[in-house]
Amino acid sequence: MSKKLLSLSIVLTMLFIMSFTLTIGAEEVTLKFLHRWTQEPDNSFFEEIVANYEEQNPDVNIDMEVVSNDPFKEKIKIMLGTENAPDVFFTWPGEFTNRFIRANQIMDITSYMEDGWKDTLIDSVVEPFKYEGKIYGAPYRLDAKVFVYNTKIFEEVGVEEPENFEEFITILQKIKDAGYTPIAFGNMFPWAVSHYMGQLNSYCVPYETYMEDLKPAEGDFAHPGYLKALEKYEELTPYFNPSSNAIRHDEARVSLFNGEAAMMYLEIIEIPTVEQQAPEEFKENYDVFVMPWIEGAEGDPNALLGYPEGFVISANTKHPDEAVEFLKYLTGKEVGKKEAQDLYFVNGFKNVVSPGEIPDSVYNTTQLVLETDSLVNWFDSSLHAEIWSVVGSELQKLTDGVATPEEALEEMRDIAEEVRAQF
Amino acid sequence: MYKKKFTPYLFIIPALLLILIFVYIPIFENFYFSFFRMNSYMPGKTFLGLDNYKDIFQNDIFYTAIINNTWYAVISLIFQVGLGLALAIILESKLLGKEKKFFRTIYFLPSVIAIAAVGLMFYYIYNPNLGLLNAVIRLFTEGDFRYAWLGRPNTAIFAIIAMSQWQFTGYIMILLIVSIQKIPQELYEVAEIDGANSFQKAIYVTIPQIKEMILVTGVITVIGAFKLFTEIFVTTRGGPYDTTQVLGTFMYKTAFFYDKMGYAAAIAVIIFFITFTTSVIQISLANRGGD
Repeated sequence: MSKKLLSLSIVLTMLFIMSFTLTIGAEEVTLKFLHRWTQEPDNSFFEEIVANYEEQNPDVNIDMEVVSNDPFKEKIKIMLGTENAPDVFFTWPGEFTNRFIRANQIMDITSYMEDGWKDTLIDSVVEPFKYEGKIYGAPYRLDAKVFVYNTKIFEEVGVEEPENFEEFITILQKIKDAGYTPIAFGNMFPWAVSHYMGQLNSYCVPYETYMEDLKPAEGDFAHPGYLKALEKYEELTPYFNPSSNAIRHDEARVSLFNGEAAMMYLEIIEIPTVEQQAPEEFKENYDVFVMPWIEGAEGDPNALLGYPEGFVISANTKHPDEAVEFLKYLTGKEVGKKEAQDLYFVNGFKNVVSPGEIPDSVYNTTQLVLETDSLVNWFDSSLHAEIWSVVGSELQKLTDGVATPEEALEEMRDIAEEVRAQF
Repeated sequence: MYKKKFTPYLFIIPALLLILIFVYIPIFENFYFSFFRMNSYMPGKTFLGLDNYKDIFQNDIFYTAIINNTWYAVISLIFQVGLGLALAIILESKLLGKEKKFFRTIYFLPSVIAIAAVGLMFYYIYNPNLGLLNAVIRLFTEGDFRYAWLGRPNTAIFAIIAMSQWQFTGYIMILLIVSIQKIPQELYEVAEIDGANSFQKAIYVTIPQIKEMILVTGVITVIGAFKLFTEIFVTTRGGPYDTTQVLGTFMYKTAFFYDKMGYAAAIAVIIFFITFTTSVIQISLANRGGD
């Protein structure tokens, strides 16, 4: 008898515990959050802002997961097909995100945005998160590509920031003659060359045409400007360090820091790295300029390569309102201020930082982004993955001088045609 | 009696089920997937029939990959099995005394290092500016030698293959040493009485006695060559311009960069057939010679 009683009481206790946990679960909302900053100081920054959010919103529990850059690209594709998809996650706007939108995996947040949220953000950096007129995400940090150069070397050689592309080639030659590497370039992973091409394409091809060509279902790259862009890139190749296809981007950056190379094409978000890692000598003597305009080209002289990064919400989230609130926080003023101070990154919130709050170099380059109305997406992440895979290889060949601009363009048009057929 | 007849099967069933669920069913599922266009984040798939296979056979990267895998297999057979055998025979001969233990460890050591670590190490050894290899060459040559071993299409794949030989020759050598140690001493004594020298003993006693193991290591090496992935992924990721792609990295690229899971499944099927047939051929050869 007592045995029966004992087992009965055990069962009752377990039922009690289960009902208890169930009631707790009903009150607290858990949001799964995925980002890609495994390194410091970014990782602890996220831990801190998430902890702050949980403190402000006791009924929301954030379950944060971090995956580093390259594995992230694979993992998110697998996760989005499953029950375990994160509610709020990092993404690169453009084709990387658009393919998920086409697969109905990302929540349309237009109605929330139009409810006053959009007015707090800078228009031009919300634009990238639009797809077919609807808004799908919010920007976490601004970015753009600029030439960071060593002012001391420029002074020593006696050259100044170029006004146009022709002048650019002239000063590159002078720097080369003076015994320096004119441009440090690490193209082992060809996203590096894609940045050159993104900017040159937007100079050589009218903005609307370029944007149309980036759509995988329509793009044919028929405009003659693409050939011109490739030719301009080819003109730059003699001024890179040798074997650029065998060197990683961060390795090449070292030669800029230690004064072997006069300049390098960098992202604004690398400026914090300059501030953290470069020797004092370099930090006191650097400045930036954008890719010089090509006289007579048909594109937009104000076009600037540089797309923001941001966060989106999974279409399958069970808590859309809570997820939106968290997304507002992540891309809002409070986090933006802290982000600028701790990490030197600027987000898309209007007037989030004023001069003097962050290093001038960061502030000034950020202004470049705010001044242009034609932000152009990174060439690699704006292309359909299959097209990029071929184009990336062709651009590496062009860098090594084993393919001509004509050959590279032909391959690009061929693969674009193949991909078009799939839609 | 009746009961006992089935008892052994009861013990086999759990393992059989596990293998069925986790190995054989996925293999057949993979065959099935290879006829579709599908990706991981979009529900639904389109039936393509044999189109994935047709596309693969028209893709230049596929042929680059096959050639690279074949190079890897041939060079590995020569160095890992051939040189490994020579080292094993020398280390087990009477030419060496106590120091043989030392050499055995030295040769074996690289194979216990993680491939990712070895890849990173060789990435720097082959680096055009900081690399040890170029520094050594500069000692003996005039001029500023800065060759990008992993960055040039004509050397990249061989640089990676060389790295693998460095790593695994010692491993194959140890496998062969173990089987050499099992050869009865009497055979050598008989050979000595017949006046055989060390070389003749190796040719007429050692090699025939360990023929089985040589074939096994051959199978391991060839199958390994066609399953190759990590070595490439941690050094060049198939670059420059896809000249170091092998079947494994080509499959990975189509699955995770192109989002073409069906196409990748078709490549997996091809890899499966290559490794399956090579092992069948080699094992049947081994059986024929074994009698």
